[in-house]
Amino acid sequence: MMGLPEFKEMKLANGLRLLVGEAHSLPIVSYQVHFAAGSRFEKPGITGITHLFEHMMFKGTKELGPEEFSRIIQANGGTLNAFTTTDNTSYFENLPADKLELAVRLEADRLQNLRITPESLEPEREVVRSERKLRSVNTPFGLLIEQLYSLAYEQHPYRWPVIGWDYDLKNLTLNDCREYYRTHYAPNNAVVVIVGDVSAEDAWKTVDRYYGSLPPQPSPREVITPEKPQRGEKRAIFKKVSQVAAFFAGFHIPAISHPDLFPLQILCAALSTGRSSRFFEKFEKPGKAVETRADMGYPPFLSMDPGLLQIYAIASPSVSLTALEQEVWEEVEDLRRKPLSRDELFKVKKQVRSHFLRSLQTFFFQGLLAGLYQVRAGDFRLLDRLLPGYESVIAEEVLRVAQKYLRPENRTVVLLQPVDQGEHEELGELE
Amino acid sequence: MNAGKGSRGFTLPEVKTFLLGNGLKVYAVPKPELPLLEIHFVFPFGAEADPAGKGGLADFMAEMLTLGTQKRPAAQLAVDVDALGATLSAYSGWDSTVLHIAGLSEDWERLMELLLEIYTQPAFASQEFDQLQKRRMAALVQQKDESPVTADERFQEVLFQGTSYDHPVYGTLDSVPQLSCEEAEEFYRRRSSSEGCFLAVVGNFPEEACLRWAEAKFPASKKVPPVQGKDFSPADPGRARTIFINRPDLTQSQIRLGHIGIHHAHPDFLPFEVMNYALGGGGFSSRLMQKIRSDLGYTYGIRAALEPRKRPGPFVISTFTPTATTFPCVQEILTVLHSFIVQEATDQERSEAVNFLTGSYPLRFETLSQIAQKIIQAEGHGLGLEYLSTYPGRVEGVTREEMAQAARKHIHPEEMLLLIVGCAAKFREEFEHLGIVEMRE
Repeated sequence: MMGLPEFKEMKLANGLRLLVGEAHSLPIVSYQVHFAAGSRFEKPGITGITHLFEHMMFKGTKELGPEEFSRIIQANGGTLNAFTTTDNTSYFENLPADKLELAVRLEADRLQNLRITPESLEPEREVVRSERKLRSVNTPFGLLIEQLYSLAYEQHPYRWPVIGWDYDLKNLTLNDCREYYRTHYAPNNAVVVIVGDVSAEDAWKTVDRYYGSLPPQPSPREVITPEKPQRGEKRAIFKKVSQVAAFFAGFHIPAISHPDLFPLQILCAALSTGRSSRFFEKFEKPGKAVETRADMGYPPFLSMDPGLLQIYAIASPSVSLTALEQEVWEEVEDLRRKPLSRDELFKVKKQVRSHFLRSLQTFFFQGLLAGLYQVRAGDFRLLDRLLPGYESVIAEEVLRVAQKYLRPENRTVVLLQPVDQGEHEELGELE
Repeated sequence: MNAGKGSRGFTLPEVKTFLLGNGLKVYAVPKPELPLLEIHFVFPFGAEADPAGKGGLADFMAEMLTLGTQKRPAAQLAVDVDALGATLSAYSGWDSTVLHIAGLSEDWERLMELLLEIYTQPAFASQEFDQLQKRRMAALVQQKDESPVTADERFQEVLFQGTSYDHPVYGTLDSVPQLSCEEAEEFYRRRSSSEGCFLAVVGNFPEEACLRWAEAKFPASKKVPPVQGKDFSPADPGRARTIFINRPDLTQSQIRLGHIGIHHAHPDFLPFEVMNYALGGGGFSSRLMQKIRSDLGYTYGIRAALEPRKRPGPFVISTFTPTATTFPCVQEILTVLHSFIVQEATDQERSEAVNFLTGSYPLRFETLSQIAQKIIQAEGHGLGLEYLSTYPGRVEGVTREEMAQAARKHIHPEEMLLLIVGCAAKFREEFEHLGIVEMRE
């Protein structure tokens, strides 16, 4: 596909899958390891362990001290990080191409020789609790979004946040971490992606040298209860100190490889991409809302199981949230009554195409696309269908998916109701 | 600029410089990998040119450029931009203002036309101004809920009091209502033909045709001398200060600690950058991260940074920590800081910093925006484009002694401003034992 290298696929005897994309415009390489380990694999009581464990992967091995992994990569001109989502945990290093072997060796080392000790767990537990405060508790809307998912999902694990509940973070044990490592961190549960200034053959040999001897593990038993169809609107109120009122809504939509995501993406763009979008024209431009969005994520960040299309609005001060919400739903209803005009459809398709091409500018993101489509959708080749998929959408399909998914019965809404400090304290501690 | 050899055989993207017959300076950077291009028209002034009490005027003026032309009302301009799958923006930094359009290569001429029309015939329609003012006020009110933003803004407001950096680029709840459409338009008229404006085109585009087009269509440069900004003479802090912004609803404190640093073109800037990697700029390789996060678990993240600006920018250590550990966290930061200045960076720290800054240098030139921003910064800060090609070699030349000297000469713990946004009642007493604490709303 235009802008993406041709990925070559190889598989080691132990089940490790390797995808290599050769690209020679810069002398750098992105090395990525994606595990099929996200918060969807957790169980109640140990929520957040996937993400906490991602932190533990930097705490040292038999050979390396805590955080030495990061120090060595950086000292060789690399940048690195990791991230955990509902569906995967991913580790990456972007570094000079001649340092690829270093990244392969260090990643393979921590896959088999990680040191998990009380001394490394305890400070990291507090680091993650600080991160939870940073990302959820002390942000304007973090807890609101947590509540939205808790309400929209009654059975499926998407009902708890990736970072976990604070109570669970306090109570996770060393044994929970060791068990998690044994279960999920195996070569047959990983996809390695290499994009950059390398030859596929050399990359294959290097990965085989360091990972080839690792034994496979029995695949983890998946106990993931699917969500039942929603049969009526759900609503909740969340009260906290805030300068503004807001609502966040979620509509259940299909999983990553479902063809309805193409017209749904077009629909989201029609609502809120660009200054000629419907939401900007109607709500933001005249100052009714600070922000209004329709968002289902962009490839590859589409969920492995049926996800949520979010629509949210942050009301401007002195604007009635009730009236704003009503107007937003009227705008959504308009999409369920009338197909997009030819001009609007043409415009939105071009916006989506252009946005997608812009995302391909780094080797890192090219690798993410391949790795996460492999982990989440089971096949990186689905990438080839993305641009043709958007291009082939017709107005009637947008109308059909609007009618099918944006029904009030399929909607969950959480309202942010500002309160003063006194009421905030009466409501109990945030954590 | 000729292509420069960086580290490990890395060749910088070729930046071609042209002076067109109409006097317009153009930087062209071909990047053929994707069918994309970005066009930046750069004005040599930024928020530092905001008049006293009119904080946000330059940035306001910039956004007004995107809200319609004399031929094309705002709504039509938005439709025309979106129909190309393009993005249009205009914004001020501290030292420059940028009008920017990005889109697909197939539309290069259309994108140039739109940019030129916006540059030469902006509408400055009063109705658009009123709506923009309303939007920005609402956004500023909402932003009060973002404690990291509050901490950054208030820290710099106090630090740079009495200078042109004493307000956020986008203005404040006090200054934005003071702006008028006429002022914004006049501000633009006086400066839009300033000497030092230039065009940067990066991406996949037909170079010759593009240059011919720019030469034929852009108006002749008038070489108007730039409007002189205010003098930059910050008050001497003389002593350390502690300020709390009380937010009783927060469970975690935002901490900022620092002082005014040195400007980007200062000869010590590069040694400072290498030194700061070891102190707090190098993530897990830095002493602050090692102590405050890895050893003590007080925070998810901590960093020290000297912001590069044309005039001296802020040197600031930024972190956050649960309310209960606010005081010990600050104490530990100060301990690390003092010991770093006394003990100096080691040979290993120097070599790791140099390797990181040179080895990761190519990663800073991957996207079209990154390349354009590098050009804009080099020009705006008076570094010259050679800076980009000579950077790796000059970093490699920084010695341990130069790092130590940069720390001793340019870090002054006894003159630092400490600003904390958080539930002050729970940690105020601990700090009061150390000296005077100011409480602010």
